[in-house]
Amino acid sequence: MTSKCETTTRSLPGCAVIELSGEVDGSAADVLSKAYDEAVVADQAPCVLLDFSAVDYINSTGIALIVSVLAKARSQGRQVVASGLSDHYRQIFAITRLSDFIQLYDDIDAAAAGVGAN
Amino acid sequence: MTMTSRERVLTSFAVPSEPGNERLALTRVAEAVAAADLTADQLERLKTAVAEATMNAIEHGNHNRPELDVDVTVVDTGAAIAVSIVDNGGAHEPENDGHIALPDLDLKLAGLQSPRGWGLFLIRNMVDAMDVSTDGDKHTVRLLMVTGDPATQTPDGQTPDGQAPTPEGGPDDQQV
Repeated sequence: MTSKCETTTRSLPGCAVIELSGEVDGSAADVLSKAYDEAVVADQAPCVLLDFSAVDYINSTGIALIVSVLAKARSQGRQVVASGLSDHYRQIFAITRLSDFIQLYDDIDAAAAGVGAN
Repeated sequence: MTMTSRERVLTSFAVPSEPGNERLALTRVAEAVAAADLTADQLERLKTAVAEATMNAIEHGNHNRPELDVDVTVVDTGAAIAVSIVDNGGAHEPENDGHIALPDLDLKLAGLQSPRGWGLFLIRNMVDAMDVSTDGDKHTVRLLMVTGDPATQTPDGQTPDGQAPTPEGGPDDQQV
């Protein structure tokens, strides 16, 4: 199945940013994994920011991908933060307890400020 | 499905069992309930539950066989929106990647449980009630979202006048 997820990576002080758009489902596995590897190679920052501002759908397999990214980042000693989640997906991050491990911010600017303050 | 005089079918359709078609189901259900008395939050939760149940029907019920349909029916019961999602693939076989176990993020992060296995958990947390039934090869998941003022209804969707949108059959913990 062709992925409907696209990513853009960039760097902010102290944080590698992965901006996602489209749909985060099982078909996004390769896209997200590649984006993560590119982001952390290009930027040895101790934090990875996943921005979901342009994401309109996350399903259970997408949640599993986010769990995998979180597990990989933690194994490398990196913090994961997220921004741009809708209220609905914030609820899902709370239900799944992802938000216990991933600090949530309203947008990239707030995340950058929050990470910089840490 | 037995209908009462208060119940009204909003839509009924089928999607082929191909990965990604849960999005078609989600969209069509959302269109069908657009005029229903659901809050924006309820609508989003119903959409997620419908997508997850349809995905389970496609994958675990019909085993991604496109010649098998997943049938979706949306009914306004007068007290709730009821969405029935039916696959025709016979008994569901549990996945071997931890779908049966309650998802535990600590275990997943420790590598002791598959990262997957969130579907049923999400469904149960998104809707007001859910039940599962099997009739021959037909496997039905019925989702309920209570409509109207929640203050006048109990958590399981019963109204003070006893008009209950209770699903047929009882709760069922089997894998969907």
